[in-house]
Amino acid sequence: MARRERRSRSFLPGDPRVAEPYRLTPQLALRVAVLAALALAVFAVLFLRLWALQVLSGANYLKQANQNRVRTLPIEAQRGLILDRNGRVLVRNTVGWSIELWPADLPKGTSERQSELTELGTVTGLTARQIQKKITEFGSDPLTPIVLRRGIHEDQISYFDEHQLDFPGVRLAQTYQRQYPHESLAAQLLGYVGDITPAELKEQKNKGVEPSDAIGQAGIESSYDAYLRGTDGSSQVTVDSLGQPTSQITPVVTSTPGNDLRLTIDLQVQRAAEKALKYGIDVARASNEPYADGGAIVAMDPRDGSVLAMASYPTYQPSIFVSRDPSKLAPLDNAADEERANYPGFNRAVDVGYPPGSTWKPVTALAAMEEHIISPTTQLLCSPSYTVAGQTFTNWDPNVDSYIDLPTALAESCDTYFYRVGNDFYALPTSTRGHPLQEWASRFGFGEYTGVDIPQASSAQGLVPTPEWRCVHYGGPPCKGYVDRIWKPGYSVQLAIGQGDLLVTPLQMARFYSVLANGGKLVTPHVVGDVEQQTNNPASPTILQRFAAQPPTTVIDDPAALRAVQEGLWEGTHSPIGTSSGVFGNFPVSIAGKTGTAQKLIQLPGYPNPLELNQSWWCGYGPTDSVATIAVCAVIENGGHGGTAAAPAALKVFESYFHKHPPTTTSHISD
Amino acid sequence: MTEIVRIEVAESRRGLRGRRAEDRLGVFELVRRLDLLLLVSVLAAVGYGLVVIGGITKLSEGGSAAPRQAIYAVVGIVVMCAAIFVDPAIYRRFAGVLYAGLLGLMLLVLATGAVTRGSKRWITAGGFTFQPSEFGKVVLALCLAAFVADRVKRVNDVYLALRTIALAAGPILLVFLQPDFGTALVYGAILAAVLFVSGIRWPQLAAIGGVALLLATAVLWLLPAAGINVLKPYQAARLTGFTHPGSDPSSATYQITQSITTVGAGGVRGRGIVGATQTSLGYLPADSTDFAFASLSEQRGFFGASILLLLYLLIVWRGLRIVASARDLFGAIVAAAIAFGFLFEVYVNVGMTIGIAPITGITLPFVSVGGSSMISNLAAMGILQAIHARGRRRR
Repeated sequence: MARRERRSRSFLPGDPRVAEPYRLTPQLALRVAVLAALALAVFAVLFLRLWALQVLSGANYLKQANQNRVRTLPIEAQRGLILDRNGRVLVRNTVGWSIELWPADLPKGTSERQSELTELGTVTGLTARQIQKKITEFGSDPLTPIVLRRGIHEDQISYFDEHQLDFPGVRLAQTYQRQYPHESLAAQLLGYVGDITPAELKEQKNKGVEPSDAIGQAGIESSYDAYLRGTDGSSQVTVDSLGQPTSQITPVVTSTPGNDLRLTIDLQVQRAAEKALKYGIDVARASNEPYADGGAIVAMDPRDGSVLAMASYPTYQPSIFVSRDPSKLAPLDNAADEERANYPGFNRAVDVGYPPGSTWKPVTALAAMEEHIISPTTQLLCSPSYTVAGQTFTNWDPNVDSYIDLPTALAESCDTYFYRVGNDFYALPTSTRGHPLQEWASRFGFGEYTGVDIPQASSAQGLVPTPEWRCVHYGGPPCKGYVDRIWKPGYSVQLAIGQGDLLVTPLQMARFYSVLANGGKLVTPHVVGDVEQQTNNPASPTILQRFAAQPPTTVIDDPAALRAVQEGLWEGTHSPIGTSSGVFGNFPVSIAGKTGTAQKLIQLPGYPNPLELNQSWWCGYGPTDSVATIAVCAVIENGGHGGTAAAPAALKVFESYFHKHPPTTTSHISD
Repeated sequence: MTEIVRIEVAESRRGLRGRRAEDRLGVFELVRRLDLLLLVSVLAAVGYGLVVIGGITKLSEGGSAAPRQAIYAVVGIVVMCAAIFVDPAIYRRFAGVLYAGLLGLMLLVLATGAVTRGSKRWITAGGFTFQPSEFGKVVLALCLAAFVADRVKRVNDVYLALRTIALAAGPILLVFLQPDFGTALVYGAILAAVLFVSGIRWPQLAAIGGVALLLATAVLWLLPAAGINVLKPYQAARLTGFTHPGSDPSSATYQITQSITTVGAGGVRGRGIVGATQTSLGYLPADSTDFAFASLSEQRGFFGASILLLLYLLIVWRGLRIVASARDLFGAIVAAAIAFGFLFEVYVNVGMTIGIAPITGITLPFVSVGGSSMISNLAAMGILQAIHARGRRRR
């Protein structure tokens, strides 16, 4: 087509309609001119305005830019108090100082900045690299301060006051700090408060928390942080180019203080339990148990699971998390120092599992009666030793050889009686039901979390070994054909007296003894009673939320079985053959309980091989002649026999709780 | 006069056939006929824009945006070069298809687009996101020009103007619904330029202008007073806020106050990249996109800002010259729409940072961070060059 056109152009005169070029009409020219004039006007306006702003009033605006720096400062909310069950203060606040860094105001030059950070590091005890890391982690908003250090010393405060001008971008700020009037009391239970980490800042539950805030990092402070925290307010201040305030700080939003927590802990019983632990360790050491070095005591109201005391030893002063002195913090966050100090940060009552030894025997007894393996009156031979599948297990007391019933077996803690029961459990046909002893144990709350309202490690579950667990633990499946993966009769026999791979925490044990004390109901332990708000009248705070005890579940169906165990435990503390009669026999309140002496291989620091050491246990409750109001469980690590260390320690807790003392206290050594 | 109109009609009817032989140009001829001054100013503006963005984003958290922006610039320059080789008459012939495609894409944005800062403007395709409304500016100019140029004999018919307005109303409405009020305004400016250059009589233009003014008054003051809000409150606040910046220093006019302070603080020579605290400390919102001009002014001062404005002035001037030298009315209208749309964008964006225009989300051509804006603006420059190269030889 195009070619034809070209040809036509060469042969014929051009078509005027096509060949005639489009012309710029005067009309269009006028309009283009109008547009051009408009464009010129626009640019003239822009240039003139720019001239006016930058050249004529530039100095003014520069001043404004340097002065007009509105900073929004968070107003820290005061954290709620932590009170004991009677309203006595366990944790409160004081005013302290912290060092804040405003990244926007740091020197812009790399070398000046570096030298300031180094200088700052030497004063605060941080390295320049650590400070830089904090800036990059939190400094996305240059107008939000980063808290470098809380709880600084007087001399640091005066140093910064004097050298304020040498540290552009650094400011001293008033903050609230935790204060612990009872020092190390309940340290692991209460937990501590620390700077929020970048990872925590992103968590949904920490919504509304500023990067400069501190949050609960362990224990109750952590699990009830949302109640204790309060809501930060904000204020505004204008600052100059060096970050120095040029106006008064004006509050915009006032802060709302956090709410108070009232615990179920009784300050007096807690203090007694902590003293009792030290006493138990001292008694053990005096009784030729030199390695006794730690332990835990739990005291619980068996009626509703409210924890009266939860002690763990060794312990620490939570105030070291306020001053953050690295040398004092080392036993809590440095592996070598932790081991040397025997892990003071662990809450042994909740997080550490021990073999329970003979304190476990009531579990075996109840399971056996419920499964109709024995009855309360069944007589079994209490012999010096018992042999099954070629393996011989001895009784702790070789001077026995008679048929006894269950209460007597519990009272004198006869091992061979329970070995026979354990073997009977092993002999049960597994096809009809799984593993009755382990199932009863889990029904009593062993091998699982207790549901207590503080953070727990996975070790808080303890361990109830089953054949399936054994196979998996030793590399199975397959299980058949591997010697170590097979469940042998000896494991059932050992499990019956609380030895072997079994691990229980003191809190689990206190919960189980509460079942014995309250007539067969499993309660959920808890440490917080309610959330309160302070009112003008300190005696009557407003209760915002009450944490009702979770309804207990009935776990023992057979009252006769329960009565037989209760009788055995009472005889254990009162009959001449009882293993802790020497400790509790004269106590004015009728206490029932059970000793335990659990062998455990312990790798002590500085020793080439682990030693087999006795973990001293005592668990019991009282009063037995009316409604039992307290169950106590005590463990002294490497403390020897249960009657040696743990039972006297537990007695101290009862003494404090009942405000009564036995006429004389004699130590009686037995299992 | 009548003769010219007749020729126009014949030309429009013939479409591509109306091309004269000398319009079919070889590559070298095309390159020889490019508007060199326009080319140089555009490349200079793009280069300067990269330097400016590098400075603004140097201290920002995500690192410098310049490398990414440079990639967009390279893609845009390739598109611009390609556009030079496309005879604008092709756009005219396929104007209907272009228009349908434009509407389709915008509906797609509304249907599937990702919501960013409260509005749907972007489409994601193959890992890239792009903003159809940016490209829509060029496409709308082409479609409207083709529509008017094809019907130029009825230029005095009042219905032609109304039909053109109706044609433009579709895309304007769809952009407005995103909501992207700034781009809707740019579309309006393009429509105005098309009507103006197509030769519609002054009385009609005056009437249209009057109606537009009435409409704006109604939308901004009368209807809200009666309780009907056509604009979202923040849009209205921005549109009217610049007339009294001190009224509410905390919200709507905060940006204006901060922006003016930012520009003014730059002074004659600027505060440098590190010293520009308004930019580096985050007092200025959107410092690398909508408010890039304010940051530029703070960092590089009156001199630095003037360089950019002068480059824009050169580009607008060359664009308007191309209106006069276009080979046909279609080319003239397209060139005028592109040049005027560009002028409008520059005025509204720069004006908003210095307090003489309302705050709208209009980008600063060749500077603001963003690929769609960069590429579509360079494509528009390519079309200007294509019209120029095929236009009448001067003198």
